[in-house]
Amino acid sequence: MFRALCPASSAFRAATLYKNAAVAATPARTNALALSNFVRMYSSVGLARTDIEKRVLDILAGFNKVDANKISLAANFNNDLGLDSLDTVEVVMAIEEEFSIEIPDKDADDIKSAAQAVEYISKRDDAH
Amino acid sequence: MSAAMAAHLSVVTAQSPSLSAARQSVLHLYRDFQRGVPEIMRTHQIDMPMSQIRTKIREEFERHRDVKDLAVIDILLFKGRSEYQETMNAWKQETHIMRYFIKDDAPPKPEGFLEKFLAGRD
Repeated sequence: MFRALCPASSAFRAATLYKNAAVAATPARTNALALSNFVRMYSSVGLARTDIEKRVLDILAGFNKVDANKISLAANFNNDLGLDSLDTVEVVMAIEEEFSIEIPDKDADDIKSAAQAVEYISKRDDAH
Repeated sequence: MSAAMAAHLSVVTAQSPSLSAARQSVLHLYRDFQRGVPEIMRTHQIDMPMSQIRTKIREEFERHRDVKDLAVIDILLFKGRSEYQETMNAWKQETHIMRYFIKDDAPPKPEGFLEKFLAGRD
């Protein structure tokens, strides 16, 4: 726009035109920016549930006290996987580290199976 | 100031009302200890794999696994809490922490008269 008009006008006019052109160009530019940013992904959207499930199960598989064949989402840490209470604390802590969150004691006490852990993590926005 | 200010990580000592409540507080203490391992290693500059420290903490808890007396558990809880506070506040120093590991590294105690004699102790 500026280049097309510039040769036909005096230096002064060109300067004012340039100013106007700059002002006029701004909305167009922001529009273009908005368009290009339209599909921006925010990291705070949260984790996919399948992703959480996979990572939690991987943590369980990493514990050598756990029988790999018994691992499932519904399996109770204590009854099905044969972990004692201290092991359960360790599992929950490993989950904390994996998702870089800190689970307060009263919530951590309630996590007794992989499914409950997944449920809890999906509610936490700061998990990643 | 009439009363001294509570130090960092102080916990009021209490009698546990039931075994399940005591169990809960033991698990909380265990969690605090395990969670504190990276910080303990940092503040005390412990040159050891993290897993070894975690295992030692576990070992110390396992030592009292079979305690069923509520009063005894309360005392152990109190001791554990003070241990935790002293470690995290660096009231304990490296040597106090390394004392937990002395037995692991020490050669086995001599048994039998001659072995004890040669080791220079009875």
